[in-house]
Amino acid sequence: MNAPIPSTERRRAPTDWKGADMQKRIAARYSSERRFRMIGLTAILMSAGFLAFLLISMLHEGASGFTRTELAVRVDFPKAPIVIDPATLRGEGADAVLASVNWQALTDQAATGALGQDGVWIAPGAWLVMRDAVKADPSLLQKSVTLSLPASDDLDIAAKSDGSPEAEAAYARLDKAGIATRAVNWDFLTSSDATDPTQVGIWGAFKGSLLTMAVTLLLSFPVGVLAALYLEEYAPRNRWTDMIEVSINNLAAVPSIIFGLLGLAVFLNVMHLPRSAALVGGMTLALMTMPVIVIAGRNAIKAVPPSIRDAALGIGASPIQVVFHHVLPLALPGIMTGTIIGMARALGETAPLLMIGMRAFIASPPGGITDPATVLPVQIFLWSDEVSKGFVEKTSAAIIVLLLFLLSMNSIAIYLRNKFERRW
Amino acid sequence: MNGVAIVTLILGLGLVAWLSARAKAVRLAPAPSGGASRNRSGRPLLHSLPVYHGWYAALWVLAPALLFLVIWANVMPGLVTERALQDSAAAALPIDAMSRSAILTEARNVALGNAQAAFDPRANALIEPYRSAHRFYSLGGALAALMLAFAGGAFAFTRIRPDFRARTKVERVVMSALLVASLIAIVTTVGIVGSLLWESLRFFAMVNPFDFLFGLKWSPQSAAMGYGNEDAFGAVPLFWGTIFIGAIIAMFVAIPLGLMSAIYLTQYARPAARAWLKPMLEVLAGVPTVVYGYFAALTIAPNLRDFAAWVGISNASSESALAAGLVMGVMIIPFVSSMADDSINSVPQSMRDGSLAMGATTSETIKQVLIPAALPGVVGGVLLAVSRAIGETMIVVMAAGLAANLTLNPFASVTTVTTQIVQLLTGDQEFESAKTLAAFALGLVLFVVTLLLNIVALHVVKRYREAYE
Repeated sequence: MNAPIPSTERRRAPTDWKGADMQKRIAARYSSERRFRMIGLTAILMSAGFLAFLLISMLHEGASGFTRTELAVRVDFPKAPIVIDPATLRGEGADAVLASVNWQALTDQAATGALGQDGVWIAPGAWLVMRDAVKADPSLLQKSVTLSLPASDDLDIAAKSDGSPEAEAAYARLDKAGIATRAVNWDFLTSSDATDPTQVGIWGAFKGSLLTMAVTLLLSFPVGVLAALYLEEYAPRNRWTDMIEVSINNLAAVPSIIFGLLGLAVFLNVMHLPRSAALVGGMTLALMTMPVIVIAGRNAIKAVPPSIRDAALGIGASPIQVVFHHVLPLALPGIMTGTIIGMARALGETAPLLMIGMRAFIASPPGGITDPATVLPVQIFLWSDEVSKGFVEKTSAAIIVLLLFLLSMNSIAIYLRNKFERRW
Repeated sequence: MNGVAIVTLILGLGLVAWLSARAKAVRLAPAPSGGASRNRSGRPLLHSLPVYHGWYAALWVLAPALLFLVIWANVMPGLVTERALQDSAAAALPIDAMSRSAILTEARNVALGNAQAAFDPRANALIEPYRSAHRFYSLGGALAALMLAFAGGAFAFTRIRPDFRARTKVERVVMSALLVASLIAIVTTVGIVGSLLWESLRFFAMVNPFDFLFGLKWSPQSAAMGYGNEDAFGAVPLFWGTIFIGAIIAMFVAIPLGLMSAIYLTQYARPAARAWLKPMLEVLAGVPTVVYGYFAALTIAPNLRDFAAWVGISNASSESALAAGLVMGVMIIPFVSSMADDSINSVPQSMRDGSLAMGATTSETIKQVLIPAALPGVVGGVLLAVSRAIGETMIVVMAAGLAANLTLNPFASVTTVTTQIVQLLTGDQEFESAKTLAAFALGLVLFVVTLLLNIVALHVVKRYREAYE
C-alpha cells in the first residue's frame, strides 16, 4: 500500500518562453488586453459623446430661440386715427388712456401701409411693442417713426430654418429690402407663457421656480440639519432611532412621482391648500429634498473629529453648546454643499409638480407663494407638447436657461467644497 | 387686525423680552472674578449665561402665543360661521346642506375680500353679519394672543434669579426641536403609505384587486365613459411596459457602458484623466429628466422610427419603447458606474496584487479576480438602478406613448406605470372616480416594488461589504 507510486508522468519540460507557440499565446493575451482597454475607453467615450450630443443639439436648436425676426415698419402717428393728447400719457391714468386705443387695428393698418401685402407677416402681438413704445415716449405721437415690430411665427421660422414656401418667399423679399432683421429677443427673458410662440417668455416660470425653491429651502434646510444633528449626535440607539434612519434612507429612494401623489392626497385634498401654488410645490419638493440634506448633513457631521467635541466638553460646554458652537459651524460647508445638490435636483424635478396641478397655463408671473404658478421644467414640458413649430426653439432655449441655472448652482457647490473642505 | 401684523407684533415682543431678560440677568451677574461660586461682593454667580435668560423669556413670549394663533386660525372659521348664522338674515337660508354651504362660501369670500360681489341675494344679506363676526373673532384672537405673550413674558421675567437654570430649560426645548425634526421623516413615510393605502383601498372597493394585478386589458377611458370597471383596469400591460423599458432596454445600455466606464476609470485611466471623466459622468446624472424626455421625443424617437422603416419594420411608432429605454439607459449610466466603482475599489488590494504577481495581465485580473469578487456589489448597484429606472417619469411620459400594448417589439409604443399615473391625474375629472383612484393603486404598486428592490439591493451590498471587512 505504501509502495511508491511509479512515476508514470513524463517530467514536464521547462516552459520555453522563446518558443513560437508561447510567443503566439503571449501576443494573443496582450492583444486581448489592448482590446479590453479599448472597450473600456469606448464605453466612457460613448457616454461623453452622448452628453456632448445632447448639449450641442440643445444649444444648436435653442440658440435661435433667444433671437427674433423683426420688421422695420414706418408708422406715421400724426396721420393715424388716434385721438389722444400726448400730455395725458405723462400723468396718472395713462394706462386707461392707452387702453382706449385699438392698438391691434392701428398696428395692422400701419403694417399694411408700410409693407403692403407683406403686412400680414407682423406678429399678432406686435401691437404690444407699439403700445409700449408710445407709453415710454409719448412724444412719438407727433412724429413719424420707424418701429421694429416682431415678425410672425411663420416668417420667423422661415428666417431661421425652412418654413412654408410663401413665408420663405416673403422673407427673401423683406430681407432683400432690408426690412427684416434679427434682434435679441429680450421679451423671452421678461414675459410669461402665451399662446403665440413669438410672445412667450420664461420669466413667469423662472419666478415660479424661485418661489418654489424658496419654500423648499426654508422648510427642508432647518428640518434636515436639525434631524441630522439629532441622529448623529444625540440619538440613543433604540428601535425608534432605527425606524427614523430606515425611513430617511427609504425616502431618499422613493420615486419622485410618489411624493406628488402624497402632495395631491394630503396637501390638496385633506389640507385644502391652493392648487398649482408655489407653496404646495415647495412643500412637496421639501419632503423630497429633506432626506438628501439629512444624509449629506450626517456625513459632514461625522467628518468633524471627536477631539473637537472632547475638548469642548472638557472645558465645560454643555452637549448642546458643543454641537451648536463647535460641531455645526465646522460641518456647515459640507451641509451647504449637500443642500445645494439637493436643491439642484429639486429644481429640475417635474413629475411631482404635475401631480399637484402646476401644469396650468399661467400667463402672468405669480405675485406670491399662494398664486397659481408654474416652474421652468414644467414649462419646458408644456411647450414640448405644443404643436406649433415655433415652440421647438423656445423649448430648447428654456432648457438652456435651466441647464445654465443648474450649472451655476453646481459650480457654487463645488467651489464651496473646495474652499472650505478641511482634512483633519 | 390681520395675521401678518399680529405675528410681527408678537415677534417684536419676543425681541423685547429677549433684550430685557438678558439685561436683567447681566445686572444680577457679579463682575467676573476667579472661579469661586461667590465673588467678593457676596453675590452668587449666575448659573446660566445672560443670553440663556434672554432666550428663556423670548420662548415664553413666543411659544404660547404662536401656538394659540395656529389653533385659533383653525377653529376661527367655524366660530365665525356660527355667529353669522345667529343673524336674522340666516333664517332665509335653505335647509338643503349643499346650497346652504354654497351660499355661505360665497358670502365668506366677499366678506374676506376674496371675491368682488356675490351673485345670490341671500348671500348678499349675509355679507355684513359675516364681516362683523369675522372682525369680532379676529380682534378677540389677537387680544388673547397678546395677553398670552405678555403673561408668558411676565412669568419668565419673574423667574430670572442668579441660581435659575435657564440654560437647562432652553436646552431642553432645543432638544425637543431636534427630536421633532427627525420625526418628520417618519411622519412623511407614514403619510405616503397612509395616503396610498387609503386611496387604493377605495379603488379596490370598486375594482377587484385580482383583476387589477393580473388583468390584461387597460382602458380606463372606457370605464370613465360608464362601461363598468371589470375589464378596464388590468394593469399587466403597464407592468410589462415598465419592465420592458426600465429593466430590460435601459439596462442593456446602462450595464455594459456603466460597468466598462467604471473599470476603465478605476483600473486604466490616469489620475488626471479620471479627474475630468468622473465629474463628466456625474453631469449625466444631473441633467433634469424633462430634458432627457424632450431629447428622446424630439431627436431619438423620429430617427429610430425612420431607422425602423428603413430596416423594414412596418408598424414602427413614433413613440417607441426603444427611444425611451435608450435615453433612460444613458441617464442611469452614472448610477451603475458609481456603484461598480465603489465595489471594485473595495476589493482588497492584496487580491489584485496576487493575481498580477502570478503573471496575469490587467484585463485577466479584472475579468477573473476583480469582477467575480465585486459581483455582489455590482448586482446591488444594478438593482438600485432598476428601481430608479422604473420610478422615472418624465422620459416615459414624453417618449413612450400611451397605448397599453403587451408587445415584445421595441419599436412599438408601450406605456408604463408612471406615465399612466400622470395621465390619470392630469385632467378635469372628479376625485372620487375609479379612474383617478387607480393612479393611487398604481402608485402603491410602484412604491412597494421600489422599496423591495432597495431593501434587497442594500442587503446584498451590505453582506458583501462585511465579507471583506
